[in-house]
Amino acid sequence: MRQGKGSGTYGILDMSRFYHALSTPAVVLLTFLFLIPLSIILSKAFVGIDRGFSLERLALLVTDAYTWRILRFTLVQALVSTVVSVALGLPGAYVLATYRFPGKRIIKAICTIPFVLPSILVVLGFVIFYGNNGIVNNLLRMISGSEEPPLRILYTFGAVILAHAFYNFPIALGLISSFWEQLPSRYGQAAMTMGAKRFTVFRTVTLPRLVPAILSASTLIFLFCFSSFAIILVLGGGPRFTTLEVEIYRRARMTMDVEGAAALSLLSIAVTLLLVALHLWAQRAMAHQEEMESPGQRRLERRPESRMARIVLPLYALTTALFVLGPLFGIIYRSVQVPVSRSGDSEFSLRWYRQLFGLEEVAGSAFSVAGSAIILSLIIAAVTACLSLLFATMLAARLRTRSGSKELTMELFAMLPMAVSSVVVGLGYYLVSNIFPGSRSLRTALVVLAHVVIASPFVLRSILPEFRKIPFSYTQASLTLGATVSQTFRKVELPLLRSAMATGAAFSFAISMGEINATLVLSDSNLVTIPIVMYRLIGSYNFAGACALGTVLIAVCAVVFAITESIHRSRYV
Amino acid sequence: MSEAGLVCSHVRVTYPEFTLTLDLSIEQGELVSIIGPSGCGKSTSLQLITGLIPCEEGSISLNGKDITHMPVWERNIGMVFQDYALFPHLNVAQNIAYSLKLKKIRKNERTARVSRLLELVGLEGYGKRKISQLSGGERQRIALARALAAEPQMLLLDEPLSALDAKMRKRLRQQIRKIHEATGITTIYVTHDQEEALTISDRIVVMQEGRMEQFATPEEIYTHPSTLYAAKFMGEGTLLPHALIPQTLVSIDKGPETVVFRSSGESRQIFFRPERVIVHDNLALAFPEFLPHLRFNKARIINCEYQGGRYLLECDWNGHSILAYSRFRPKHEKVVLGVRVSDLIEYVDGIVVN
Repeated sequence: MRQGKGSGTYGILDMSRFYHALSTPAVVLLTFLFLIPLSIILSKAFVGIDRGFSLERLALLVTDAYTWRILRFTLVQALVSTVVSVALGLPGAYVLATYRFPGKRIIKAICTIPFVLPSILVVLGFVIFYGNNGIVNNLLRMISGSEEPPLRILYTFGAVILAHAFYNFPIALGLISSFWEQLPSRYGQAAMTMGAKRFTVFRTVTLPRLVPAILSASTLIFLFCFSSFAIILVLGGGPRFTTLEVEIYRRARMTMDVEGAAALSLLSIAVTLLLVALHLWAQRAMAHQEEMESPGQRRLERRPESRMARIVLPLYALTTALFVLGPLFGIIYRSVQVPVSRSGDSEFSLRWYRQLFGLEEVAGSAFSVAGSAIILSLIIAAVTACLSLLFATMLAARLRTRSGSKELTMELFAMLPMAVSSVVVGLGYYLVSNIFPGSRSLRTALVVLAHVVIASPFVLRSILPEFRKIPFSYTQASLTLGATVSQTFRKVELPLLRSAMATGAAFSFAISMGEINATLVLSDSNLVTIPIVMYRLIGSYNFAGACALGTVLIAVCAVVFAITESIHRSRYV
Repeated sequence: MSEAGLVCSHVRVTYPEFTLTLDLSIEQGELVSIIGPSGCGKSTSLQLITGLIPCEEGSISLNGKDITHMPVWERNIGMVFQDYALFPHLNVAQNIAYSLKLKKIRKNERTARVSRLLELVGLEGYGKRKISQLSGGERQRIALARALAAEPQMLLLDEPLSALDAKMRKRLRQQIRKIHEATGITTIYVTHDQEEALTISDRIVVMQEGRMEQFATPEEIYTHPSTLYAAKFMGEGTLLPHALIPQTLVSIDKGPETVVFRSSGESRQIFFRPERVIVHDNLALAFPEFLPHLRFNKARIINCEYQGGRYLLECDWNGHSILAYSRFRPKHEKVVLGVRVSDLIEYVDGIVVN
């Protein structure tokens, strides 16, 4: 086939105006959604005391030792979190790529959880599970019989790292193992025939080939930890463990130093931009290596041989599942418990749910808005899912036909929202909302727009690879059978993308449901979503109420998760 | 000549490292193969004809109508793709009915046509099956049925059998030929397999680097290749300097044929196919050829390959390599080879001399 030669490839689609007409509105709208808040931030950052253009604010920031302390801490905690996450994930990736054992499917499914799981749930689960009065401590107390909690980890550096590891190690596990699986075993076998022992093979053949995957996972995790917000805000527990994102929020909404927050945002954007570029570079290196593999040459997974391994592997699966799912089950468990005595004994009750759905009078004020928060969250998430799916599909149709350097710039453009942390996006829209004060519906709309900006890259990432996988001959066949370009798009391409689109929409829905960073920066007392209420409940030590609301969030995420997993299994062969 | 089906006149597309020129006219109802090595422009030619690649220069007409700038979807030229390109989200019947649905043909008419097409390709009752449940050969035939469903004015097949095993290839090429005879549709068949091209086609185009080397019937192409390139591509053969003729010619005076010598130059060469060579290994008997022929005494066998039914001998004669088919395995290392003068094809600078 003479493909890949100039117009021979997608030329026929370039001739048709259909794809341009399809994608242009998406490009324009997303650009606006993204650039408006960004430009407002920029304008604030460069505003001097006398309201004219000035660099003094930036200069002040850069010379301030406090700024550098925050930046250093942010980078250090992100680095440590990344190292721990990858170190935890790497052995698991080896196990997943090499062996077949009971529980493997569950582990693989768990790997997608962090992309769906809201950070506020991580925070809550962490407190419930590892907190001073948490499940782990209660168990330890029961064993040791002491009164004092043996594990005092909350509000320490360790808590932040542990929570980040819990949140992100499945990413490392998933990314590295799926790449590892695709490494053909013949290279290792070739090395063995030349006399290399198992470990030598790993060191000299496998590891070098895994580097792009490890880099790709590391840069992504580093990015996530760098712009981590809720975990630091709650678990960090104060100015001692403040990161850039938390500081931006604090200045914008607590000390009302909007200009200072804007200036800090520039610093944040600069770092994340660099990280995203690194990540894309690592991904390209990975994709480049994948191209060299001929398909159908996957590693064969084998059953563990030794009895030891046969016991250890399922145990590993169990531990991982417990580590990741334990805190979540802890939330569900605590949501149906009410304390009966001062000493901490409790019994089963649905009181929190009755309060949640307005069936019982509520004492605290934070919990009274929970019902309306659920409704608002659902509405916002539904609208966000629809909009981001629409935009991402239109963009993917355009990006699919791009190749070479043009493709990279377009993809970088599409990933730009990822390069700006959601706190910064929230700040931008908060500044927009300050221009039009008062209106609640406008603020809600701005929340939706912020969510669209945050979720769209994820939807695009789930659609675009599937779009590229559709053989171009399908499109050509449809055209020769008498279908126009737009008919082909509707009757062949869209149906083939249905599962990817459903996955993308579900992701977007879940992201919006659990989004707290931008929402917290942008919201006011009238505008509350589930994560905001949960944050307030945690702040007022109403953990049980937070757990009830968290369980609702878990339920939503579980449904989304079930949808994406079932779709994943029913792909066309 | 019957009326013209497809006429490509002075069609030309240019790529940075590759230029394709196409100048051919195919009669209505004819089955023409395009053969050549990969990258010679076969697939590009098909895409030009369907309109998947825009035609930059020249014109294409089909059944007397100019289609040079007509969009793909209006041309009504059916195409079977190398990977079949059956839509995985549709079942067999839906795939076949795809074009019928686009034409808004009513449902019962559609079902009737689908079952007729399934019958034509010998897969009755396959309508409800998923594409993933089909074998390679079945997919190929469904792709053919789908391409025929719209009753196209022309059918293009892009290496339709290349992904199948040898036995299935043989069976399906006979079926394609039968279906072609039943429908009478003008067909272009792209392949890189010379045996396939020879057996299936009315005429064959040999292509190389975007140029048409020869366009003729299978017999003509095999026995009288117009260029050395075509000669070598269509089968095995031996190439020798023309200057060898005087020293090897054996001419029995009473023979009806006379040999005319032209002045030999470096670029003048003779070519013959291995099945034209007489292999003689029993020197006690007379050489079994009485017409004027070239005789190569004491040719040494370098390699003897059993091919089932015959042996392919690779012989060395005075530093020249000669290929010959033999019905038996020669008993001696040295044999006598002969080839009739009338079986020689002469080339000057790679072009045939008539």
